Amino acid sequence: MTGRFDGTIPLLPVVAFVAAFAIVPAALLLATGTVGLGGLSGLVRLAADPLNRQALENSLLQGGASAAAAVAVGAPAGVFLGRYTFRGRSELLAVLIVPFLLPTLAVVLGVETIFGTGGVVSSVIPGTRVLGSGFGGIVAANVLYNAPVVTLLTAVGVESSSPALEETVATLGGGPFATFRDGWGRPAALGAAAGAVLTFLFSALAFAGPLLLCGAKCYTVEARIWSLDQVLLSPAAAAGLAVLLIGLLALPAAAYLALVARLRAARRSSDRPARPVPWGRPWVWPFAAATLVLGLSVAALLLAVLDAAARPAAPGAGEFSAFMQLFGPSVTSRLGVSTLAATANTVFFATVATALALLFAIATGFGLSARPGAARALRALVFAPLVVSPVVLSFALSQFWRPVFGGSSTVGVLILLAQATLAIPFALPAVEVALRRVPANLRESAQTLGQSPWPAYLDVELPLVRDGLVTAGLFAFALSFGEFTATYFLATPTFTTLPIELYRLEGVREPALAAAVAGLLVLVSLVAFLVIVRGGRRVEF
Amino acid sequence: MSSSDGLQVRSLGAAWGSAPVLTDVDLDVAEGEFVVLMGPNGSGKTTLLRCLVGLETPTTGTISLRGKVLDRIPTHRRGIGMLFQEPALFPHRTVWENVAYGLAVARRPRAEVDRRVADMLELLHLQPLADRAPDALSGGERQRVALARTLAPEPALVLLDEPFASVDAEIRRDLRSAFRRALSATRTAALHVTHDREEGLVLADRVVLLSEGRILQDGPPAKVYAAPASAESARFLGYNVVEEDGGTFAVAPSDVEIRPPGPGTHSGVVTLSGFAGANQLLEISLDDGTGIECRLPIGSRPPTVGETVGVRWGRSVPLPTRAA
Repeated sequence: MTGRFDGTIPLLPVVAFVAAFAIVPAALLLATGTVGLGGLSGLVRLAADPLNRQALENSLLQGGASAAAAVAVGAPAGVFLGRYTFRGRSELLAVLIVPFLLPTLAVVLGVETIFGTGGVVSSVIPGTRVLGSGFGGIVAANVLYNAPVVTLLTAVGVESSSPALEETVATLGGGPFATFRDGWGRPAALGAAAGAVLTFLFSALAFAGPLLLCGAKCYTVEARIWSLDQVLLSPAAAAGLAVLLIGLLALPAAAYLALVARLRAARRSSDRPARPVPWGRPWVWPFAAATLVLGLSVAALLLAVLDAAARPAAPGAGEFSAFMQLFGPSVTSRLGVSTLAATANTVFFATVATALALLFAIATGFGLSARPGAARALRALVFAPLVVSPVVLSFALSQFWRPVFGGSSTVGVLILLAQATLAIPFALPAVEVALRRVPANLRESAQTLGQSPWPAYLDVELPLVRDGLVTAGLFAFALSFGEFTATYFLATPTFTTLPIELYRLEGVREPALAAAVAGLLVLVSLVAFLVIVRGGRRVEF
Repeated sequence: MSSSDGLQVRSLGAAWGSAPVLTDVDLDVAEGEFVVLMGPNGSGKTTLLRCLVGLETPTTGTISLRGKVLDRIPTHRRGIGMLFQEPALFPHRTVWENVAYGLAVARRPRAEVDRRVADMLELLHLQPLADRAPDALSGGERQRVALARTLAPEPALVLLDEPFASVDAEIRRDLRSAFRRALSATRTAALHVTHDREEGLVLADRVVLLSEGRILQDGPPAKVYAAPASAESARFLGYNVVEEDGGTFAVAPSDVEIRPPGPGTHSGVVTLSGFAGANQLLEISLDDGTGIECRLPIGSRPPTVGETVGVRWGRSVPLPTRAA
C-alpha cells in the first residue's frame, strides 16, 4: 500500500547523470579494456607484468596498512567522543572533518613539513623521518586523511547504541566489559569497520601521496593507470588495469555500503542522552589520550601547512612573500598560466559542481520521501564512481564524451562533470539524513491543507533541513575545490586549477610557492569547516 | 443522506503487501456530523483515515465527498483536513502563519486570510499566542493551533487521528470540549479516531466500531452501547462476555454481583482485587475459564486474591449466537 505520489521521477535525474557520466563510460572503457587485451588471458598477462603487479600489491599493502593504522588511531577516539560529553566535544567532532576537506596534496605537503627532511617533528625525533617519505610517508598521509573519518563513524556507531540496553546490563550486574560486549561494543565495531573499509578504499586509490612522497615504485593501481595512459601513452593497458582495479575494490565497496546501511538503521532507533566523562575510572584515560593525540595531529597538520605557506619565498624576503609572488608574473611565465586564472578556474568548477550536486540532492530527497526503499540502491549507484576511482572515471569520461562534445570547452565540461560526479556521493547523504529527521506528518499536513507534493516539500521540509543543505553544499564545494586526481587527468593548461598549480610548482622545485598554494587551499577548507560547524552541523557519510 | 451529502465510503479495502488491513468498509458521515471511529490497536482506524485523505491507496472500493468521487484526486485537492496524533506544526512558522497556511495555499485574498485566521484563533482561544513559535507552546496549545489550522480553509470534512493521545488527562478533558465546540461552531463534519471508548461515546453523534479491518457496528452511542451487535463489539465496549444456558450474553462490570459460592451462582477464583478510585476492581476467573471483570462500590468488603467466590449478574444483553 503506497501513497499517491510515486517519487520515481525526481530520482531519475541523478540516476541518469551518474549513468551517463560515470557508469556507462566506465563500463564501455572496461569492456574495451577487456576485449582489447584479448579477454581474461590478456588481463592475466597484464596482471603478471612486474610493474602492474607491483602497483596491485602497493594498493593492497598501502590500503591495508593505512586502514589498520587509521583504526588503531581513530577508533579509540571515536569511542570516547561517542560515549561521553565534555566541553568542546562538538567542536572537536567538527574539527575532525577538516583533513577530509583538505586537498590530498595539502595533506601530503603537511606530512612532508612535519616528518620530511628538516620537518617540525623529524628534526626533534629523527626516528619519525620514516614517516616523511616512501611507504611510511604514504601511510602517514593516508592516516592523517582517514583516521578522523574512522573516529566519526565509530562515534556514530557508539551514539546509536541503546542506553536502555546498557542500563539493563548494569542492573543485571554487568560491569564495564559486559556493557561493552552486550551494549555499545557491536555498534562501535560496526562504525570502526565501516571507517576501516573506507580508509582501505581511499588509500588503495591514493594518487597524490605515491606520486609526491615516493615515486613510481610506490604507485598504486590508480597512479599506474594514470602513468600508462598519460606518460606511456598506452590507453589499452590502462583500460585493462582499470578492470583489475574495479575487480579488486568491488568487494570492499559493497562491504562499506552494507556496513553503512546497518549503521544508519541502528542510528534511527536511538537518541543517546549526554553522559559526562567518568574521569575517576582509569580505563577511560587511554581513550581520552587517543582523542587528544588525534586532535593534536589534525591541528599540527593544519599549522604545518599554514606555517610553510607563511615562510619567506626566498632568503631575506618577508613573511607571506610567497603569496605575493604567487600572483606575480614569474609564476605565469614558468607555468604558462596565472594563479589568478587558476583560482578563477577552481572557484568556477567547484561552484558549478556544487550547484549540480545540490540540485541532485534536493530532487533526490523529494523522490526518496515517497520511495524511501530506493535509498540503498541509490546510495550504491552514486558511490560507484568513487570505486571506479577518479582516474578511471576521468579516463572513461575522456574516452566516451570527448568525441561527443568536441570544441575548445570540452575539457572544462569534462572537469565539471567529473567533479560533480565525485561530489554527489557526499552531498546526497547530508541532505538525505537531514530529511529523514523531518517528521513525515509535516509534509502530509501541508498536503491535507491543499499544498501539492513538490511545493509542500519546498515550503515545509527544505527550510527545516537548511543545515543539511549548507553542510552538503560546503562539503561538496571543499571537495571539488581541492580535487586533484580527476582534474589533473583531464586538464589542459587553460583549465589549470589550484591543486594542479600546487603539483606543478612542486615539480619545478618551488616549494615555497607550492606551500603558499597549499595554504590557500587549506584556508578555503577552513572557511568551509567554520561555516559547517556553526550551529553544531555534522557531516554525514 | 443523499448521495451529494457528506462522505460516502463503499466497499473500501486496503492491504499491506498481501495482508489485508481493511475489508469491505462502508461508511457515511453526514454534513456537520461528528462520527467517532473506535476500535482496538491495529484494527485499521488510521489506515482508513489515510485512505480517505489520499495518503494511502485503497485496493478496492470508492470514496466520495459531496457527490464527488475522490479515488483519483490527490490529497491536496480533496478538501479533507486531517489532524494527526502529533500536532505537526511547521516549526519555522508562527502560530498565525501556521493557521494561515492552508488559506495562503488556496490563494485567498489577504483580507479574508486575516479575518479567517483571527476567527479561528478566537474560536480556540489562541489570540495571545498568535506571534509565538510552535516550540514555545504547551502540548494542549499545539493541538488547538493544529485544529485551528485544519479548520481555517473550511474543509468539507475533518479527520482526527487520536489527537488527544499524546497529552495528559487534564489537558485531554479541556481539548475534548474545545474541539467539539469548535467543530459544532463551524458545522464541520468530523471523523474522529480513538481507542478510548469513554472519549468516543461522550463526543460522538454516532459511533462506528472497527475491528480487524471490518466494521462491526454503527449507530448512536447510547444505542450501540445498549445493544452490542457481537461479542467483539461487547468486549470493546467494556462488557464481560459470558456463556449461559446455551446463549451468549454481555454483562456490564457494574452489573456483576459477588455472593458466597452456591446454587444460582457461577463459581470462580479472584485473580486481582484493588482500589480503582471510584470503585473496587475485581478480576475473577470462572471455573470454565471465562474471565470476568467486576466493579464493586467503595465501602463493600472486597474478596482477596485467591478466594473462591460465587458470581451472578443482574442485567445481561443477549448477543447473536456463535458470535462469541
